[in-house]
Amino acid sequence: MSATTVRTVTKPKANYETTAWKWMRYSGFLLIPLVWGHVLLQDIIVGVHKIDLDYVALRWASVGWRIYDTLLLGFAFAHGTNGIRQVLNDFFHQPEKRKIINVGLFIFWIVITAIGGIALIGGVRPIP
Amino acid sequence: MSSLRTTLTGYVGYRGKEGHLSFLLHRVTGLGTALFLTIHILDTSFVFFFPQLYQHAIDLYRSTLFGIAEIGLIFCVLFHGVNGLRIAFVDLIAPKFWSKPLQRSSTRWTVIVTLILWLPATGVMLYNILHHNFGLFGG
Repeated sequence: MSATTVRTVTKPKANYETTAWKWMRYSGFLLIPLVWGHVLLQDIIVGVHKIDLDYVALRWASVGWRIYDTLLLGFAFAHGTNGIRQVLNDFFHQPEKRKIINVGLFIFWIVITAIGGIALIGGVRPIP
Repeated sequence: MSSLRTTLTGYVGYRGKEGHLSFLLHRVTGLGTALFLTIHILDTSFVFFFPQLYQHAIDLYRSTLFGIAEIGLIFCVLFHGVNGLRIAFVDLIAPKFWSKPLQRSSTRWTVIVTLILWLPATGVMLYNILHHNFGLFGG
């Protein structure tokens, strides 16, 4: 076999999907301490049987925990929504359908993040 | 419609051994976590929007059914995290080390590490369910 052909492939220009691909990995690194720390504290050490309105009020009285939860909300939910988008892109290939998925997921992401963000800023309200 | 079926049959029929299974498990655990995360953001936001309903949501989470689902959720979070670390490490830090046998063995190690982290957590959560919901261990 002397006829060896060398095929050169030019690296395609980085586009939105390249950024999203990298971002999933970088945010993943950050989410390991954030999410595992959250799970270890709330599910294992404290446990759902000890969590109530007063517990959330006490926890959110500290600015540090509010910042922690804000980072969780921002990074985890964006990572998750983009993950859903990547999975759906595997199933739907037509540009029109992908557009519907993208717009729909963007609205979904903005609305849920806003709801969580308002609660984080507003804090625990007394029962009327 | 055809792309939907092609992808689905590919998901099921593709015989890529460990790589295939870890791909599927990564997706399932990711989607499961994303589903719970959406619900969890909404139930937590009750403390501001409907504080009188927050305890109802927490009572649901305290039920035995949700307690068992919680153990499954922790598996999802742990596997997705360990496997995600493996993927990100190979993609960003050490792409030169990619080889089929190494990927196979690291995929198996991913499952082992996940189980090592998950089993003690499961023990604690099972204890909590038995203690609070069934009155065991002096509950």
